[in-house]
Amino acid sequence: MTHKIHILLVDDEASLRQPLAEYLIKQGYKVQQASDASVARSLLNAYDFDIILLDVMMPGEDGLSLCRFVTDKTDIPVIFISARTEETERIIGLELGADDYVTKPFSPRELVARIKVVLRRAEKSGTKQISTSGAAYQFSGWTLKCDKRSLIDADGLNISLSTGEYQMLLALVSRAGKVLNRDQLLDITQGREAHAFDRAVDNQISRLRRKIESDPKNPEIIKTVWGGGYVLAGEVKSL
Amino acid sequence: MIRLWPKSLVGQLLLIVALMLLLAQGVNSFLLYRGAQSQNLVEASTSAVSRIAFGQDRQASDRPMRRGAMPVQRWGRLKYSANSVVTDDMQRLPELETRAGQAFANMGIVFSDIRATFIRNLTTDMTGHLIGTNRRAWRDNPINRSMGDKRAPPETRGFVIISAQQADGQWISIASVVRERTPLLVRTLLFQTITIYLLMLIPLILLGRYISRPLKSLTAKAHGFQPGETEDLAEQGPPDMRELIRAFNVMSSRVSSMIKEKDVMLGAIGHDLRTPLAALRVRVENVEDDVERERMIAGIEDIVHTLDDILSLARLGRSREQSDPVDIRSLIETIVDEFTDLGHEVHYQRGDKQSALIRETLVRRALRNLIGNAILYGQAADISVEKSGNKLMINVDDDGPGIPEEKIESMFEPFLRGEASRNRATGGSGLGLTLARAIARDHGGDIILTNREQGGLRATLVLPAD
Repeated sequence: MTHKIHILLVDDEASLRQPLAEYLIKQGYKVQQASDASVARSLLNAYDFDIILLDVMMPGEDGLSLCRFVTDKTDIPVIFISARTEETERIIGLELGADDYVTKPFSPRELVARIKVVLRRAEKSGTKQISTSGAAYQFSGWTLKCDKRSLIDADGLNISLSTGEYQMLLALVSRAGKVLNRDQLLDITQGREAHAFDRAVDNQISRLRRKIESDPKNPEIIKTVWGGGYVLAGEVKSL
Repeated sequence: MIRLWPKSLVGQLLLIVALMLLLAQGVNSFLLYRGAQSQNLVEASTSAVSRIAFGQDRQASDRPMRRGAMPVQRWGRLKYSANSVVTDDMQRLPELETRAGQAFANMGIVFSDIRATFIRNLTTDMTGHLIGTNRRAWRDNPINRSMGDKRAPPETRGFVIISAQQADGQWISIASVVRERTPLLVRTLLFQTITIYLLMLIPLILLGRYISRPLKSLTAKAHGFQPGETEDLAEQGPPDMRELIRAFNVMSSRVSSMIKEKDVMLGAIGHDLRTPLAALRVRVENVEDDVERERMIAGIEDIVHTLDDILSLARLGRSREQSDPVDIRSLIETIVDEFTDLGHEVHYQRGDKQSALIRETLVRRALRNLIGNAILYGQAADISVEKSGNKLMINVDDDGPGIPEEKIESMFEPFLRGEASRNRATGGSGLGLTLARAIARDHGGDIILTNREQGGLRATLVLPAD
């Protein structure tokens, strides 16, 4: 791939913005920095960006408002970077059309992984809106709500999922009927490639099965395809 | 007796007024009774004075007494004696003596001395010298006859004896019946009291409600006080009550603004610490030495964890996260997996489906803290779920040394750790249990620590079952 991924990094704190930009450049990205929303807007006019990293709390126009502008006018995916940890903040961000949400302080490696996941998702679907804000799926009596990242059973009871389990389930549900091998699943969920003897995917799958299958030994929802990978069986309704 | 004492202000007011009214009526009745008694004495002595005056008339006119002209038996004969019937040891009634003296003087009769007394039973020497009763009927009664004439006739309370000394030194005496004509005291007293009380009841109840209604709404407001409430309680009731409500409104708005200030400050602290920490976290990636880098990352994560604990504790109760019914099994599994991924030994056997209405991120944090403690002090954790009544109990057992009974409560105090040293090497912010308990209580539950019989500690997270 000759094309370098172009990132717009918007944060009013130079102390964070600069080292983060350096880190991303070192990882092979092209980065433009904006210290506030108006700079970001003019940069958006001047360049074609692949993804925007956006601080929520900024003096002047805040990140939420800029995010609304970006998702309304463009297809560029947005990842929020916030100092707020409350669940409601994250939900608001995702509802506004952000593709992901990381809280400060974050691991830069994880940020890069998330950038890859978001980009892969946008690339695969053509349009970026495939599986996030406001979307929900129904399958085999279960409901997966993307805005709150919650899985609800037939009785309306919430099933607690780890972030990894949620990502894995979302990958399978949004590609129901399609067989996904371990490499694909890792790529979709974590933006990385599997190393040899990587058990991460199998681990997540078996934990998921324990939570959603009535008999985890004989799975009926997440099926194993021998030599291939995993597939979500049954009908999926996208709400 | 104590149980009859009403708890409400109006009830107490009504009861006190009723008791005071009864007391006042009692005093009043006693005074009336006393008045009636002396009235009876005066009446009796008036008859006695008339009788003596009548006897004197005849003596004065020097007319021979006609036999039968006087109903001697009924009127009673005057007793003439050298010494007064009213002896010195008897209690005399000066008021009656004065009255009798005036009465005699009005009739132009002069006595050198007049004595009056009251006796309950007629003395023998006065038998036959008695007026004021139908003595024949009294005497003819066989029962009374058998007892002699000393018993008083019915309705008689006693006798007044008037004794007057003539100029020649001879005493003229007569006894007169004092009739019982006092009213039926108890019944009248009760009737009057109840009438007055009923009349006062309506204004009393109205007054009571006028006072107690604003008091009640003030109590309800204070109980349900939520910081940040902008709605003031309407001032109503009497002026001092209005003053109280006004003071309460001012106080609650002060509390609200203090808490708002605190929230703003915490938000600022959170933001201002997270951003430099994030910058530091990014820069750490440039450290070449893997071991050194991982240590620095762990250090930053430790700070972040403490910061999160402090902020959660400070914000608790005003969380905007909404409660959802959550399957407790999956919640425990998610956290257990986190710990096993880090290489810790945590056991949990999935059981029946258990639902609780909780704010998941908070309860996750509480449970994470309990399991973290179990691993820290006991190397391994064993988790089980029990349901008893409407309570759901998540037990986190360890095989550590446990905690001396007397120290268990103090474990919930902030920044106190199980071991004496406050050495950071053992990890944890020292807020773990404080926060876990605050979260549990915010959900209507609690954290309970008990030493297990087979050794080790059991930390129980109690939640209300859905």
